[in-house]
Amino acid sequence: MNESTNNYKFKMMRNLIILATILAITVSCNSGGNKSSADKNKVAITAAGATFPMPFYNLAIKKYTEDSGILLTYGGIGSGGGIRSLSDKVVDFGATDAFLSEKELSEMPAEIVHIPTCMGAVVIAYNLQGVDNLKITPEILEGVFLGSITKWNDPKIKTVNSGVNLPDMNISVVYRSDGSGTTYIFSDYMTKISQLWSQQVGTGKSLNWPVGMGAKGNPGVAGTISQSVGSIGYIGSEYAFAQKIQYALVQNSSGNFINPEIKTVSSSAKGQIPADTRIMVTNSADPDAYPISGFTWIILYKEQAYNKHSSSQAEATVHFLDWLISPDAQAIAESVNYASLPADAVTVAKNILGTITFEGKPILKD
Amino acid sequence: MTTRKNISALYDNIYHRKRKNKLFLIFVISMSLLTVIPIVFIISKIVINGIGQINFNFFVQTSPDSLQAMTAIANNDTIPGGIANGITGTFLIVLVSSVMAIPTGIMIGIYMYENQKQRYSDFLRNVTEILQGVPSIVLGIISYLWIVKHVTNGFSAFAGSVALAIMMLPMIIRSTEETMKMIPNEIREAAFALGAPYHKVILMVLIPSGFSGLSTGILLSLSRILGETAPLMMTALGSTAINYNVSKPTSAVPLLIWEFYNDPNMVRLVWSSSLFLMIFVLVLNLISSRLSSKNKIRRKK
Amino acid sequence: MNSDRLTKAALFTATLLVLIISAGIVFSLFRGALPAFKTFGLKFIFTNEWNPTAGKEVYGALPFIAGTLITSILALIICIPLAFSTSLFVAEYYRGTRIAGILSSMVDLLAGIPSIVYGLWGFYTLRPFIIKLGLSDQGFGIFTASLILAIMIIPFATSLSNEIIAMVPDELKEAAYSLGATRFEVIFNVIIPNARSGIVASYILALGRALGETMAVTMLIGNSNVIPSGLFSTGNTMASIIANQFGEASGLKLSSLIAIGLLLFAITGIINSIGKIIIRKFGG
Repeated sequence: MNESTNNYKFKMMRNLIILATILAITVSCNSGGNKSSADKNKVAITAAGATFPMPFYNLAIKKYTEDSGILLTYGGIGSGGGIRSLSDKVVDFGATDAFLSEKELSEMPAEIVHIPTCMGAVVIAYNLQGVDNLKITPEILEGVFLGSITKWNDPKIKTVNSGVNLPDMNISVVYRSDGSGTTYIFSDYMTKISQLWSQQVGTGKSLNWPVGMGAKGNPGVAGTISQSVGSIGYIGSEYAFAQKIQYALVQNSSGNFINPEIKTVSSSAKGQIPADTRIMVTNSADPDAYPISGFTWIILYKEQAYNKHSSSQAEATVHFLDWLISPDAQAIAESVNYASLPADAVTVAKNILGTITFEGKPILKD
Repeated sequence: MTTRKNISALYDNIYHRKRKNKLFLIFVISMSLLTVIPIVFIISKIVINGIGQINFNFFVQTSPDSLQAMTAIANNDTIPGGIANGITGTFLIVLVSSVMAIPTGIMIGIYMYENQKQRYSDFLRNVTEILQGVPSIVLGIISYLWIVKHVTNGFSAFAGSVALAIMMLPMIIRSTEETMKMIPNEIREAAFALGAPYHKVILMVLIPSGFSGLSTGILLSLSRILGETAPLMMTALGSTAINYNVSKPTSAVPLLIWEFYNDPNMVRLVWSSSLFLMIFVLVLNLISSRLSSKNKIRRKK
Repeated sequence: MNSDRLTKAALFTATLLVLIISAGIVFSLFRGALPAFKTFGLKFIFTNEWNPTAGKEVYGALPFIAGTLITSILALIICIPLAFSTSLFVAEYYRGTRIAGILSSMVDLLAGIPSIVYGLWGFYTLRPFIIKLGLSDQGFGIFTASLILAIMIIPFATSLSNEIIAMVPDELKEAAYSLGATRFEVIFNVIIPNARSGIVASYILALGRALGETMAVTMLIGNSNVIPSGLFSTGNTMASIIANQFGEASGLKLSSLIAIGLLLFAITGIINSIGKIIIRKFGG
């Protein structure tokens, strides 16, 4: 090793390190992106929460950012993460597929309001050769997911699907291994239609499943079902609709077999929506409704002057939410396979938006 | 009599030793072949599935949304957009992580090498190895608690960098220490004998001599964090726009991969993004081996 | 001389940093895990149940501890012969040749592949392969997960070993050859004793990687929260359950998950120590 090579190496490394440090410092002092449409002095809003409405939110945010110049960031870290982030006051609003219970509301540092943004459904997907439009009753769902119905040609399934060739094959159940709002909606429905289920399993974002196998996320469940003939499971509608998976018609409380689609999902919200919009609309009484449907909500503080929250941020947030429930944005929801909010829900949501204040003064001047 | 027995015993022994030698060589070659097989499968799957989506836009445009992807698939097009927000985000986060972790890791490794007999070094070594086993998601949680909540008061690229820097440390520390141990002691002593101050010995003798081993450790830790999603989810959060501000949420390639994976219309982009990461790692490896081939310690008489 | 003391102080301060960080991690985890330990006591470690049903919540870490231990150790066992052979191939037998360069580049590439992609590859390629071999009808399970882990940790086991083996001084090897040793004998009597510390370090790092791996495992292990009953049955690991449930957890469940994270810390330490004791016994 001669000295000049060492010298050279030393100088080279020292220069590299200096360069890297200078780069890191300049980059971190530089605020705002220059390729995005938001410029340095504009407001930036951060939000986090449910993964279920992500395609819709991302699309809506993109459009809103283009039009208004306000930079919005949404992270799909899960409803629990959204609630936690809001509680820790590190986001401007959160998103959740299950509304907060009274207990959870009391644990938040200040009063929270819920704004519903769109609707989705949980479809029952299955993999059977040559069997399209499988019809399923609540009774069958109870049997399959509790393990009492184990074969596809079980008499209970056959009576409802006369004329369909059901094989003598084992039913393999697939469920979500990760906690999710989809599971919550599904289990809420199951609790309503089955005594046994409500005793054994109950409602929740993750459950103690009596039978079946767990797969992670919608892609996991869909992938597993598509690769195993004879399997059945539940998937979020926005995923199922885009993927062209086989899913079943479910019999609702009026006795009709309903195909999950945007229209039938919206129908399940017809009826009384409480003033705080905290309602599960599964097993709806409406005759055209798809019974396993639900809202998804955005949650934020009623009083927006907290921490370092500025009035411009509060205004931007509320105006964004106001736009999100408007017909323009709702049309965007439908373009990516979500069901739009029915008129009643929009009215209630608008009322709630009107109650959001900054230092006591309502933000929306309508 | 005895000599003949001894000689034949000698020959038998040689025969057995030679046979062991040959068998071992066969073992090594077949095991190496076995290792290659899944590698070839994985790499080819990524290339085959990913190459179709890579074009110029891939590097300069931000990520597409679900609708664009859906329309493109319906029309049998390549999905528009790219991963520019992810690439710049990854670059930013990894740069800040490296600046934090690399000098620190090397210094700690050198300390442990210089003070090998100490109980303290032993203790440090154990702590380092335990740190390596912490799941990335736990480090994400920690960074959320420390940085997101109290330092940047919101999701930020810096929080992501902190989580990733902690992940980089164990590898850099251990590889530094082990590399230093392999440097012949004479080199180090010669430098001291010439009167060089301690920091010059480190910077101008030890580090250049061990450059190859050091860069391996650095490269390995970089490769690992380039593909990590979980810690970034709860620290950097993600973004649809390109961002250079460390105190704001940023996207990253693995975050985008996660988003693509969960979106029914964009699964295809998972492969092209992985292809990008793989090629990036390959380039880093090539650069590092070019640099270190000049510095390999080889004692030739 | 002053600058020397400064340098030494700087080095020492750096080491404090890693200690502070580790202590901080343990402290934060402990704080988060406290509710779980208060409710379940130390029995939490040995409880074999994970029931999130509201009102009847019982959480225990045992199934996940078992899953983590089995998959990581199995992965290391599968990985070692492969990694060791590859290291010898690249750093000793064919050192400097093109094929060694290609092989080592290919292995290094593995380190850069995100774990989701490993999970996807395992799901779409490995799983059907295992089903076809008739080893399991669903393809998920301990074996599949361990196999994928083994592939993932190979670059960690080989990269550092390669460097260390290549750095063994030539004179030592040449001296042994001149005494008539075969290549095999040189490897096992000269190179390995000399490089042992580095090689062991790289395997421990690889094991650490396996213990903390989340995504790929979670997509292939079947996610059943029970102690696995056989090589091909399903199970779950500590990192995987944290990743799966953390996004949606709150209250007692959140605390239990953090407790599992804390336990993983402890278990990593224990396995490392046991590993080192074993090595010392064998090395003599």
